[in-house]
Order: sequence, then C-alpha cells, then structure tokens
Amino acid sequence: MRILRYSLLAGGIALGIAAYKVQMDNLHVTLIRSVGLPWNLTQAHAMTVGPFTTSARSWAIVSGAWLFLVAGLVAWSRRPSNRLGPLMAAAGIALLLRQLRYSHDAFLFTVFFVVGELSYWVVAHAVFAYPSGRITDRLERGLIKVGYTVTFLFTIAILLLYDGSRPLRFFDPTPRDSLISVGGSGDAAITMQKAFVIVVWGVLAVAAIVLLIRKLVLATPRARRILAPLLLAAITVGLRAVFESIFTFAERPSSVLYDYLFWWQISAFIALPLALLAGFLRARLARASVGDLVLELERTPPQGIRDALRRALDDPTLDVLFWLPERNGFVDAAGRSAELPDHGNRTVTRLQHEGEPLAALVHDPSLLEEPKLVNAAGAAASLALENARLHAETRAQLEQVRESRVRIVATADEERRRIERDIHDGAQQRLVALAVQLRSAQRRLQDPEVDSLLAATVKELQVAVEELRELARGVHPAILTEDGLAAALESLVSRIPFPVDLDAAEGRLPAQVEATAYFVACEALANVVKHARASTATVRTVRRNGLLVVEVEDDGIGGAVAGNGSGLRGLADRVEALGGRLHVESPAEGGTRIVGEIPCAS
Amino acid sequence: MRIVVAEDSVLFREGLVRILGEGGFDVVAQAGDADALHHAVIAAKPDVAIVDVRMPPTQTDEGTRAARQIRERHPEVGLLVLSQVVEAKHAMELLSESPEGFGYLLKDRVIEIDDFLEAVRRVGRGGTAIDPEVVAQLFGRRRAQDPLEELTTREREVLSLMAEGRSNRGICDKLVLSPKTIESHVNNIFSKLRLGPAPDDHRRVLAVLAFLK
Repeated sequence: MRILRYSLLAGGIALGIAAYKVQMDNLHVTLIRSVGLPWNLTQAHAMTVGPFTTSARSWAIVSGAWLFLVAGLVAWSRRPSNRLGPLMAAAGIALLLRQLRYSHDAFLFTVFFVVGELSYWVVAHAVFAYPSGRITDRLERGLIKVGYTVTFLFTIAILLLYDGSRPLRFFDPTPRDSLISVGGSGDAAITMQKAFVIVVWGVLAVAAIVLLIRKLVLATPRARRILAPLLLAAITVGLRAVFESIFTFAERPSSVLYDYLFWWQISAFIALPLALLAGFLRARLARASVGDLVLELERTPPQGIRDALRRALDDPTLDVLFWLPERNGFVDAAGRSAELPDHGNRTVTRLQHEGEPLAALVHDPSLLEEPKLVNAAGAAASLALENARLHAETRAQLEQVRESRVRIVATADEERRRIERDIHDGAQQRLVALAVQLRSAQRRLQDPEVDSLLAATVKELQVAVEELRELARGVHPAILTEDGLAAALESLVSRIPFPVDLDAAEGRLPAQVEATAYFVACEALANVVKHARASTATVRTVRRNGLLVVEVEDDGIGGAVAGNGSGLRGLADRVEALGGRLHVESPAEGGTRIVGEIPCAS
Repeated sequence: MRIVVAEDSVLFREGLVRILGEGGFDVVAQAGDADALHHAVIAAKPDVAIVDVRMPPTQTDEGTRAARQIRERHPEVGLLVLSQVVEAKHAMELLSESPEGFGYLLKDRVIEIDDFLEAVRRVGRGGTAIDPEVVAQLFGRRRAQDPLEELTTREREVLSLMAEGRSNRGICDKLVLSPKTIESHVNNIFSKLRLGPAPDDHRRVLAVLAFLK
C-alpha cells in the first residue's frame, strides 16, 4: 500500500507539471496568433481563451489538486481503514487529469473532457463522506449519484455535438477534434454547455450547499465541531457556482470582478483539503490524548474522572455511570440511581473490567465513528473507574442509610402521635370516667368512712390523669399536629416557670421538620430549666435559605455539652437525619445558645 | 336546664349524664358524634350543649368544628367544650367568635362535681367558664413591662378566678373571703391593669381575658 501511495504521489507531481505545460502551450499559441494586436487587446484576447491561462492561475489550480492528493495520502497513511484518504487522493488525481482536457491532442481532449468534469463530483464525494469515509445519508448518496450521471451524460452530449467551428466555453479558440463527434454545429455544443452549467452549478450545487448546511444543523455539538470544514466546502461550492455562471453567461464580464472571483474561489478550494485533513486528524490527536489520560488519571480524584474522559474524548457532554452489582443497576457519581438513556441523542458504551460490568459511558453519537478510541479511553481509565465505582457504591450506601434515617425519624414520629392519641383516648379517658363514677358513688353512699377512702382514691386518680396528660404532651403534643410549630411553641413557653421570649415564624412545614424543631426547643428549654439557673430565655424560629432555623438562648451558667447519651446528642442525631445541623455554644463564662438548622423544602 | 351531651366514650358519657341528672339538670339528648349532635341541638333545643373535642371518625377536632357550627347557627345555645388537653390558643379562638355562654374545660374538671355543675349553670346563663390551666397559660405569657407584676399574690388569685369566669360570689366561696374584700380586690386589679371601672360579671371576664391575651 505504501508503494501505491508513493507511486500516486510521483504520478500526481508529473501530472501537475504536464497540466501546467498544456496550459502554457495554449497560452503561447494564443499569444502568437495575436501578434500585431495592441497589448490591451492581447490581454482581452487572452481573457477569452480560458480562465487558467496565466502562469499564476495555472499554478494555483495545480496546487489545489496537489493539496487534495497530498492530504488524501496523509489521511490514508494515518488511518488506512478509513476510505476518506483514498477518496481525497482520487479527487486530487482527477483534478489534475481534468487539466489535460485543454490539450490539442484529439484523444486526450476527448477522454479528459469527460473525466475532467467528473473530478468535481469526486471532490463532492469526499466532502460528503467526511469524516467516516462513507456516505450514509440517502439524500447525499442520491445527489452524488445524480451528479456523476448527469455530468457524464452532458459531457458526452457536448462532445457528440462539438464540430470545432466555435470554441467551447473555457477553451482557447484553437479547434480540437472530438473523436465521437457526429457533426452538428458549434452553437449546439455551446448551448449544451450552458444547459450543463445551469443543471450542475445552478441546481445540483445549490442542493449540495443545502445538504451540507443541513448536516451541520442536525449534528450534535461534538459532531458539529468536527464537521466544521463542511462549512468551508459549502462556501467553496457557492463561490465556484457564481464563478462558473458569470463566466458562462456574462457577455463581457468585468475583468476586475472576474479576477477577484477566480482568486476567491481558488483560495477556498485550496483551503478545503487542508481543513478536511485537519478535522480528520483531530480524532487522531484525541487518540494521542488517551495516552495522556492514563498518566492524568493517576493524579485524578474519583470525582474528576468524568472531566478527564471528557477532555480525552473531546466530548463535553460525556457522562459516566457506574454498575452496582447488588442493585443490579447503574448509579451516578453521587450514588443516585440512574437509567441508561435509550434515545438517539445519546449513545452508551458499556465498559467491562475482568469480565464484570464496570461502568457505562454516555456520550455523543459521533464518538461511535471511533469505537476504538472510546474503548481505548475506557481501558485506560478502567482502574480509575473501578476506584470511582467503589466510591459511587459507598455513596449509594450512604444515601440508603440517609434515607433509612429519615424513615426511622418519620416512623418514630408517627408512633409518638399514635401513643399520644392512645393515652388520651384510652387510659386517660378511662381513668377520668372511673373517677367520675367513684365520685358519684361517694355522693350516693354518704358514709364517712368510705367517703374519705373514696376521696383519697379520686385524688390519686386525678394525679394519675394529670401525669398521663404530661406524659402524652412530652411524647407528642396534640397542638403540634393540629396547629403547627408556632402554636406548639407558644403553648410550650407558657408552661416554663420563668419568662421566655418567643419569636416564631408562622406557617406550616412538613410534619417531620416541625416535630424536629419542636423537640429541639423542648429539650433545650428543659435543659435550661434543669441545669442553667437562667433568669430568662429566648426562642426564635426563622425560615432562611431553605432552612428552618430554631434557636434557644439563655443567660444561665453555660457549660452544656452534646456528649454521648445526653438529650442533645439524640437531638443532633434527629436533626442530622433530616440533613440538618445542631450547634451548641455554651461557654464556661455563661449563657447557652443552641441552634438547629433543618432543611425544609418549601 | 336542658342539656345535650355529645361524647363518644360511653363510660364517661354515662357518668356525666348521671352527675348532671343528680345535679338537677335535664339531659334531653345524648350524641356519639358530630352529626347526631347537630340533630339533637335542632330537635331538643337545649340550653347547653356539652361537647367532647375529639369525636369519631378522625378523633382530632370534630368536636371543635361542631362547636363552631352550633355557635354560628344556634347562638342561643350555651356551649361547654370538654377536652383531654386544653390550649390557650384554642380557648381564645373559640371565645373570640362568640364569647358569651361559652365554656372550655379539661375533662378531669368533671370529677370536682360541684365546681363542674356550677360551670354548666354559668354557661347556661350566658356566662363563661375557662379552665384554670388556660388561665395559667395566659398568665405565663410574656409581656413588655408586665402590669401583672404590680399585683399582690391575693390579687393574682382573684384575677385568675375572674378569668375562669367566676362571679364575685363564686370567688368568695373559693377563697373564703367576704364579698366586700373581694370587691375591693377587683377594683384594685382593674385600676392597676388600667382597665377602667369594673363592669358586671359577664363582661368583666371578657375584659380580663382580652387583657391577658
């Protein structure tokens, strides 16, 4: 294959020189014919003999063709399995061969008049096959097929009608022999040539531009960056179409306009193979970055692995999901359950490690064109991914524990509410009824001995009822369920035997949040009463930044600690279960401040 | 006096009915839930309805809601609400809607039969009966420059009893003091709290409660 490529390179160079010579010979013939004419007329005459008939122009077109050939050969040698390289090389050769149609030799003229026009369709073929080497879209394939066919038929028709009586457009005036001419008239051939320009550069070129723009618009962001050279291709086609039309239809084109147009379109044309090659090799550069990835991952913490892969694969939308065997499903880096997407905008590549599922890369579909690259990156990252997977697993377990803590708190609250109701409606109710009955009996008996006994019993029952009521209130005050936190706190502070300032935010919150805040205030105030020797205290609740903040402050002796086994420790657990924090500030010089911060969604 | 009793606990209801009967009241209907209570109030036209706060089906605040409806539709019916727990907040809410002929007591208060029957009578006459626990809660509220601190212990006792809805006569019995002494205490309290001259029994409860609130 290498020999083939070098032969093509050598052949291409030779062809280029030959093409240049053909043009220069024509120029000489024309100039010799116009000897004796004034210089400005000579210029005008030279203008009519063809667009490439100055040395610079001729070199420019040959250079464009050479660049296609060289770019194609480079792409071919870098990625031998991709057909884009050979296609671009073929386009280069075809463009060089196209120049041979200007030869005065009848055979060369006849053959390369046909082949030459086809060369533009080889270029179009390469452009639409970029970057995979294949045209997968039906419309694009159709366009290329129609292009090849129409061009072939038109050039054959022109040659059939051409009789040498009038020079063809783009050709110098010297008559040539068409080997397949059936005779006709110069006018018929030129009319056919004009029709050809209308069909190819008027209709098909516009269709090509539309299809190129469509391809760019429909592409995913990553693919669009790779497809950027297609925009240049669309511009090139547009410039060339304008150039061809003006040269074919304008009777006397302004030579300045003509000159500008020629150089614009040839510049774009020369830039095109370079742009295609650069875009094509970007994936190659990405592959080199896979090597860097291995080194980089050694220093990357597990949460950075996604960004490292994004850089290495040049896909800023890439995501990593980890396989958790015990869940039989995927989780994200934070340990939350995640589904693999199954729609067309995202593609999934599953990675394995030692035969076990490891992770899935969710990425841009354009990466599918380079499966080896994705797999190489996945392999390079597998150790780091395994590490990150364990991290995600731990996170997932933590998440489960957190959820179960919340459930435990919720269940405990529910239980407390139930116990409170049971006490009131069960034991307490019965004891009151019993006491009433005894009192009734006491009245009816009117017996002094029994009377004092019954009176004492009723007294005991009253104490028991009182104790049950206090017990139920401690378990879960009814007013908290019925009227919310502010009302419950108001009721709470009115029972404290010293003055307490209360500033409670109104409005209901989720039951767990209200209960937790209430118990923080309750426990803190109980501590104040028991230990602080305070003369006054303040209770405040505020909603701030999605948090309910409950704060209890006293002017007592301080020195409170949230150690193990203390009520404060249990409260801290409760607050943390809901994702909040409990702070205790209790300096030895006096005063205690307890602040609970509880997340509340609303 | 005609009484309707709404209470879902049969044991307690029977005790209550017996006490009321022995106390000379005429229990004209008994109800086990809010619907039965409404029908009884319409059919029996009682002087007082005694209502438990928690009743079926949810055992939360059916009684309170039923009480509110009776206040709206039959303001002439005295209402005595019984509960296992009392909250100053609930008392003030029920009071503010229609303060006359209203009572709000812990269920245990029934055990002190004479006190309880007196409370029912007060409510039936358009008076007020507020549970001492509610009054204690109201006393416990913090006020800026609390004028309550200017009162003597005895005056505070008298104020509490006034807030419960008791008449001078009731206060006399409770504290074993002469009516004259009580009257002077009442006047002192009203002047210290800057409530103007003491009005009659019914309206002074409202003035006192409004102050404590």
